[in-house]
Amino acid sequence: MKSPESAKPGMRRLVSRSAFALLSLSAATVLAGCASATQSTPTASPSAAFKPAAQTAGSQITVWADSTRLPAVQQYQKSHPDVKMNIVTYDGSANGSTYLQTKVQLFDRTGNGWPDVVFGSPTDVTWASQPTSPSATAFAAPLDANLVPQQTLDGFAKGSLAPCQFNGHTYCLRNDIAQVVLWYNKTLMDKFGYQVPTTWEQYEALGEQVAKEHPGYLVGAVGDTNSQESYFWSSQCPAFQLEDPATLKVDLADGNCTRMATLLDKLIAAKAVTTQGFFSQGFAKDPGGSKVLMANGPSWYGQYLFNAAFKVPAGQIAAAAPLTWEGETTAATGNVGGGVWMVSSHSKNLKASTDLATWLTTSNDFQANAPTYPAYVPAAKAWLANPANSKYFATDISAVFEQAADLVWTGWSNTKFSDATAWSNVVLPALTQGKTLTETLPQWQTAITDEAKSVGYTIATK
Amino acid sequence: MTNTSHASAARRRQSTLVPNLIVIVLFAALLLFFIVPVIWLLLAPTKTANELIHDNPLSFGSLANLGAAWRHLITFQDHALLVWLRNSAVYSIGALVVTLATSIPAGYALALTKFRGRKTLLVITLVVMIMPTATLVLPIFLELNQFGLIGTIWSVILPFSFYPFGVYLVYIYFATTLPREILAAARIDGCSEWQLFTRIALPLAKPVAALVAFFSFVGNWNNFFLPYLVLPNSDQFPIQVGLNQLLSSTPSFNPVAGAGLNITSPELALAIIIAIVPVLVLFLFSQRALVSGMLAGATKG
Amino acid sequence: MTALNTGHEAVSSVTPVRRRATTRRRAGLAGYLFVSGYAILLLAFGIFPTVYAFFLALTNDRGQFTGLNQFIKVAQDYRFAPAFLNISLYLVMWLLSVVVLTVVVAIVLRSRMRPRLSAIFRFLYYLPGALAGVASVLVWLFMLDPAVSPVSWLLQSMGFADFAAVLSPGDLPVILVLIAFWTGAGGWIVVMYGALNNIPDEVLEAARTDGAGPWKTAWHIQIPMIRKWIAYMAILAFAGGTQLFVEPQMLQTASLGRVSPTWSPNQLAYVYAFQHGDFNGAAAISIFLLALGLICAALLVTRSDLFKVDES
Repeated sequence: MKSPESAKPGMRRLVSRSAFALLSLSAATVLAGCASATQSTPTASPSAAFKPAAQTAGSQITVWADSTRLPAVQQYQKSHPDVKMNIVTYDGSANGSTYLQTKVQLFDRTGNGWPDVVFGSPTDVTWASQPTSPSATAFAAPLDANLVPQQTLDGFAKGSLAPCQFNGHTYCLRNDIAQVVLWYNKTLMDKFGYQVPTTWEQYEALGEQVAKEHPGYLVGAVGDTNSQESYFWSSQCPAFQLEDPATLKVDLADGNCTRMATLLDKLIAAKAVTTQGFFSQGFAKDPGGSKVLMANGPSWYGQYLFNAAFKVPAGQIAAAAPLTWEGETTAATGNVGGGVWMVSSHSKNLKASTDLATWLTTSNDFQANAPTYPAYVPAAKAWLANPANSKYFATDISAVFEQAADLVWTGWSNTKFSDATAWSNVVLPALTQGKTLTETLPQWQTAITDEAKSVGYTIATK
Repeated sequence: MTNTSHASAARRRQSTLVPNLIVIVLFAALLLFFIVPVIWLLLAPTKTANELIHDNPLSFGSLANLGAAWRHLITFQDHALLVWLRNSAVYSIGALVVTLATSIPAGYALALTKFRGRKTLLVITLVVMIMPTATLVLPIFLELNQFGLIGTIWSVILPFSFYPFGVYLVYIYFATTLPREILAAARIDGCSEWQLFTRIALPLAKPVAALVAFFSFVGNWNNFFLPYLVLPNSDQFPIQVGLNQLLSSTPSFNPVAGAGLNITSPELALAIIIAIVPVLVLFLFSQRALVSGMLAGATKG
Repeated sequence: MTALNTGHEAVSSVTPVRRRATTRRRAGLAGYLFVSGYAILLLAFGIFPTVYAFFLALTNDRGQFTGLNQFIKVAQDYRFAPAFLNISLYLVMWLLSVVVLTVVVAIVLRSRMRPRLSAIFRFLYYLPGALAGVASVLVWLFMLDPAVSPVSWLLQSMGFADFAAVLSPGDLPVILVLIAFWTGAGGWIVVMYGALNNIPDEVLEAARTDGAGPWKTAWHIQIPMIRKWIAYMAILAFAGGTQLFVEPQMLQTASLGRVSPTWSPNQLAYVYAFQHGDFNGAAAISIFLLALGLICAALLVTRSDLFKVDES
């Protein structure tokens, strides 16, 4: 067997060669003034008109839907057998998946393969409305450019198309909205003799009262990955406010943010609001849904939290209008979720694609039975009229839902990065360790600005 | 003589008592560590989602629940589960055949023949194995597209067949168990290289072939990222990508999803169990081939 | 082994030189043919992508040469330092546990246990290895939550009141080592067992008749004889450790976002590639990780003669 010594000169040569390569690279970088490493950020010039690809009438369209929306697409195929569709299911950008973004980037590089109609999340529109590279076209087609009639676009709830709007164009159709309302257990409230609050101050007082008189009962939870949308968005806190497509205002020292942080801190300290999440497995066991007196959360909490997860019997849960702050006349509320349908700008059959996307978001055939509250106002009326969507509740929720749908604050912008990352991995662990929200605000601010800068935003200075 | 051997045996027994105890405790602890989660997984489909949370984690639910979970799973997206399983089998077995056909001769050559570039090949293989795959997927995608393979099964089978880990296994195996003298003698006796390979090396390679086959199959069966990115249609997905689809349709991970889809934690657990059964069956089969290596070694000389 | 050598060496020393030269050339040609299939795959799916990755790391998305600027850019990212700190902590614990424990377990399974019992244990230890990535999300979601876990008594005795407490940032390296060990150890135990299997029984018999106890045999004979295998495992375990991706990603899904999406450097590379669309930055991070893995590989290769084969 040869000795290990013989390997050493070989290794030494390799090391010295690599060191030489490294040195020459450093020299080249410094002396030759190499090009910048930052990514180029091509922005679609607002004046450039949308140039569709060559159209082939009647050609097959490829539709990407998630499992929940698949039945709707299949329903369309059945009622329109002449439309040739290739239906593909994927994760729908759930749980922060970047599958759609990745595939579109790959397709942009190879020049083919794009789907015609896709279901995605609002975050997808932030990159789909711009070219992914200098030589590419933006993936999403501007629907207001003679594709969808303005009348249809006007039929969506106020502000619901805001996440779709960039550079003065609308790039997607909103499938559903998740306006935040104040949920409460009417049976328990009546039993305890409490009044449903109409202002945040009353909510705080009620929480402290509940903690004293009926300890163990909860008026809210902040431990979910999107609790900040239920609370801070409703309070109009400028945590994600786009001043222009490239500048983000993040100011957690603003009064709107600190007032909510203070309120929540008081309630957390009184143990009326839990730092656990409603959707954590542990919560369903202990304390369990029967201890939830109130929850400030999205419209889908009714069916998917109280009914499906907590199994609260029918006729107990009701919803109240979003809360105002004392002195303010109009309420504002947050929004937790909502999917969008986009049409590809590369589609060879724009007519079929836009027809499908329009049907999916506006037709009562599907939307009246959809699991989520439609963004299109007439379809929302049909949804509310559907007994399956309202018979579970103790009171008529239609008025509250419709009112709240128009109160969603548009100052919480749709950004290229999810607003849940900073909350989930900076704020929530801090709360678990026992820190207060108020003392965590600076950390949260830093986390948001760091993430924003890493995706290319400039942070607005006051 | 007998007195001292008794004494030394007794001393040996005493000195190995404590280490033996440690070994027993270690093995028992490791067994629990590895197995308790798997037992939980096996019992999960017999309960409903609610029972999973409220009942004793290791309790048995009912066979009716198991039947219901099975039904929900099979009808999801028109029997997508079965399609995914079939795809996985095609990709993994196809890649396995190509892997064995390329790795065993390559490992043999690297260990037992001398040619220029042998060491370079070993180094390059090692470097490629250590390279993180995040950036490798893009050039592979571009390559596959260049050759028009996107959308075909070869877009998955060919990259899967590239298995440097297997080549190294075969290389190390031949380097440590096959003495070059036998080959040298056979060469002198007039055997061609091909005969050397087929008559001497291959019969001895059964254990390592079983090892490579097993790891290759399992690695490809469990591979998520490459098929996820490269396959355009969901009915071409292998089971791992399908599991991801199921996951995003489970309320535990995506609260609003699953309205009418009936996919909850027990169904997901059942899907996971179905997905790993082929791997476990293959493991049991290849174990026998592994053990036969003991006998192969003894017939040398 | 020594008894086999002497006879054949005597024969080969007598053979004429010319015959040896032709046989050597034949061996060389055959060598090329044998590796050809693998070499094509290596070129297509190993060499070309790796070279392309190097090219990406030295240019920007417009194709201009950037020198070391990509590396400087990623190193200045606010997530870079925490990710590398995390992975360093992880690597120390991971390498120790996987190398030591798998070898110990394999030795015990091979030498101190009946074959059938040993086969059962190998199967049971391997079981979790079949649960890759997505499959293990559900399992760990339930295992780590003190409210619903079968080992809730263990978690609560360690002071964890709920799932959120288990995932506090300070504990993550340990939890990730546990999860990675759970899925990875079984496979390596099988490989080490196979390696030990190839030690001829005569050698072990000889050691026993010489009076060596089981531990002495293990330390002085078995372990040195499987040195190449251990080195191979250490290299891959280290490299695999630097490329940690599946476990923290899976925990991130299971915890609904509480674990950082860029806990490990490989996760950061994925975020660069598939969220920012910055393949150049991702390539730079990958090369940092490659360098780390290669340093370890180089050390281990030279110390264990991994590339040495018997040369007559």
